[in-house]
Amino acid sequence: MSTWQDLVTASLIGTERTGLPDTGVPGQPGPADARRPTQAPDDPAALLLDRAALLTVARRGGRPAGHAEPPPEAEPDPAPAVSPAAGRRLARMLGGEHPDLLAEWLTAVVARDRRAPAHLLPALLDRARRVSPSDPELRRLAAEAGGSRARWLAGLNPDRTFVTAHAGAGQDAWRLGGKSQRRGYLAALRARDPGAARDLIIQSWEAAAGPERVMFLSVMANAGLSLADEPLLEAALDERDAEVRGWAAHLLARLPGSALGQRMAQCALDCIRIESGARDSRLVVIPPARGDAAMRRDGVTSGQGGRLQERDARTHLLHEVLARTPLRTWTGRFGRTAEQILALRSGAWAPVLFTGWSRAAMAQRDQEWMTALINWALAGGPTGTLFGAETLRQLARRVDPARCARETTASPGAEIPPPIRDAISVLRFRYDMLKELEL
Amino acid sequence: MSVPQARVSSVAERWDRERVLALAPDAPSQRTAQSLASGRAWPATGAGIGALWGECQGSGAAPYRAVVDLSGPAYRCSCPSRKFPCKHVLALLLLWAEGTVPNDAADPPGWVATWLATRAAKASPTPSGEPAEPKDPKAAVRRAQQRESRVASGLAELDQWLCDQARQGLAVSQQAGYGHWGDIAARMIDAQAPGLAERLRALASVPHSGAGWAGRLLEEYALLHLLAVAYRRRDELPPPLRETVRSRIGFSLRQADVLARGQPVRDHWQVLARRDLEQDRIRARRTWLRGRKTGRDALLLSFAAAGQPLDGSLTVGTDADADLVFYPGAVPLRAVVLARHHGSDGGPPDGGRPDGGPVAGLLAGYAAALAADPWLDTWPAVLRVTPARAPAPAVRDADGDALPLHPGAGDCWTLFALSGGRPVTLAGEWTPRGLWPLTAWDEDARAVAL
Repeated sequence: MSTWQDLVTASLIGTERTGLPDTGVPGQPGPADARRPTQAPDDPAALLLDRAALLTVARRGGRPAGHAEPPPEAEPDPAPAVSPAAGRRLARMLGGEHPDLLAEWLTAVVARDRRAPAHLLPALLDRARRVSPSDPELRRLAAEAGGSRARWLAGLNPDRTFVTAHAGAGQDAWRLGGKSQRRGYLAALRARDPGAARDLIIQSWEAAAGPERVMFLSVMANAGLSLADEPLLEAALDERDAEVRGWAAHLLARLPGSALGQRMAQCALDCIRIESGARDSRLVVIPPARGDAAMRRDGVTSGQGGRLQERDARTHLLHEVLARTPLRTWTGRFGRTAEQILALRSGAWAPVLFTGWSRAAMAQRDQEWMTALINWALAGGPTGTLFGAETLRQLARRVDPARCARETTASPGAEIPPPIRDAISVLRFRYDMLKELEL
Repeated sequence: MSVPQARVSSVAERWDRERVLALAPDAPSQRTAQSLASGRAWPATGAGIGALWGECQGSGAAPYRAVVDLSGPAYRCSCPSRKFPCKHVLALLLLWAEGTVPNDAADPPGWVATWLATRAAKASPTPSGEPAEPKDPKAAVRRAQQRESRVASGLAELDQWLCDQARQGLAVSQQAGYGHWGDIAARMIDAQAPGLAERLRALASVPHSGAGWAGRLLEEYALLHLLAVAYRRRDELPPPLRETVRSRIGFSLRQADVLARGQPVRDHWQVLARRDLEQDRIRARRTWLRGRKTGRDALLLSFAAAGQPLDGSLTVGTDADADLVFYPGAVPLRAVVLARHHGSDGGPPDGGRPDGGPVAGLLAGYAAALAADPWLDTWPAVLRVTPARAPAPAVRDADGDALPLHPGAGDCWTLFALSGGRPVTLAGEWTPRGLWPLTAWDEDARAVAL
């Protein structure tokens, strides 16, 4: 070792300033070796390079093994990994294909008590870490789908402490933890026992500031929402904090049995009726005249600070009311299925009905309506407006892909409008994705 | 516009995504193509007559027009991208692989038919890219002698330069710019010794490679000096070592000569690992194989211009039943596929985990190889080891012997995640700076690229 270091030092300084170190190199040709071929036999620089070459190869060939201490083993995970096909799909999503469907994949994996493949965990956890400010839920899902291996990895890399923050957070995390630990504890409790989580929220409500109340409501939104939550949400409609009020109205609109839903239904039934003609029936639409304080309390805004044209403002109101009206209002009133109602002619109102009903169907998780709506759109329904395209985009990501058409009947050949093509591609992707997880 | 007759009958079988993505010149292309294919930018697409085409709405007013001749495959796109195939072509192929491109063989747009017709007209036996068979044997001998004397004087000049470095001291090279090595590398190009030029150009980064740089630079200078000495004494060297020296200098053998001269070795070759490198607008792919019966290691090299796809015919984690012919050398590693055998005896067993050995075995094998070829600095490693981070990133085998991971290989988190603190089978390249992990096998014996 020191022989080599002497050579390196001499080469740094240069043989014209320092002599050739007088060190023996194993295998070095002696001066008597007549075959020694250096161009200038006494050039110390050439001699130095000769010796360095010998030592380089000797050191490379004779390199001893080193020492290292591997980390402790990860706990075995009782949950099995997903199928190889599902793993390849996860790799595709992490590689940039339909990244917005990652949360659905993870939710499905967690629900089936499976695990993401170990070799994809670094990429998955990195993704969760990067997107988290906008979606704290993804961190929790990634940590759960990663199981014990993800916790083990987090122990090796300080960038990934969020994994352990979400996993196995105890009572202490709630009493003493920071924002994300408290959220993690509450979300886990809500997933396990929605009632207990609600009781905890009710106990903590008074002491909590606005942002934390928003956190409570967003945790409620993610799992276990039921009519039992209504009193708490209804009370929150009278909060001072506009964001809290907005969340509460948003959640109540997802509960078809809520009082808010009934208030919306009363208003909505005045707006739409069936008129039977000689040949067929059609929907007659009369949007509400104006919003009032009660509607504003329920989260129905008049939009754009009242600067809209009167007609546009009324359309907007109708749209907002439809989005919050329990969908069984329509099937009950008209005595028809969702599909039959959508088959009725509605003229220029069709796009408004499509987006309003779609929002309601997505909020109320109503698969029958979502299926009917997306099939209507894929068959060439009213998606011409930009707004309709965005609604279709969302529908395609929420409808049960096993229930709906994954082909379009709109128009054959290359004329398929891009939003419909996109919806079909998403539906196919989700269909395959969920099927793979059944294996 | 008529469509070439030969193509009408060719109904192309739809590819799967992996095959499409393998065409991508690099990983960013794969990503952008996937988002393009899942996006909404395709107002018109069609497939048929062995081709597919589509118009993709880009940022400009006119859509880009992409067309693929599946028989090549050959591609064309009206976008200005210099990557080949471009993201539009890849996205179009992905859409097709998903089955969202409608069949429209009856009526391809005019621009598609024009391009296909032009291609059919130009169709001719593909040039192999190999140096041509020498036409005049006498002239060839004269040229070969000229080259030998050019290389000889180039190497004398290089050795002089190396001695000058050792005389003046390497310390100055930390302040030297790229030109310090660029100039002598250019001289080696003039001297028709491209292998030396490449080695010299790579040295420019060594003085900035962190602690121990002087030792690493001295190693490289010493090995180049050794190469100059060896070439001068080439007549005294045993023939295989002479071939090694010549190939390190940059004399290349024609593949046809290798195939003609070498003895084919048939085996079930496990495709262990693959590494892609890019330098000077050339992409190189190293594919490492190990024979199940012979236990021999083999290295396949393939090259492509930057932006062009590399040979993807061998998939890591599978086996290939093939005849390989090795290039001559003191340690014959580099090989070329003479022929592949498909399904003659039911085909090779597919993939499976190779047998990972201990660290001591790897080091002993490398030492023996170095004794024959002192310039060898990339050696195939197949190990059964546990990755460790303390005191530095490394892998350790059951005997407690550890090897450092190459500092350039990054964090290797995928390897750690796969292991979970338990031993894994790992294939990679052993180099003087450490182990560069390339493939690991998971619990179900599936290969994972690292």
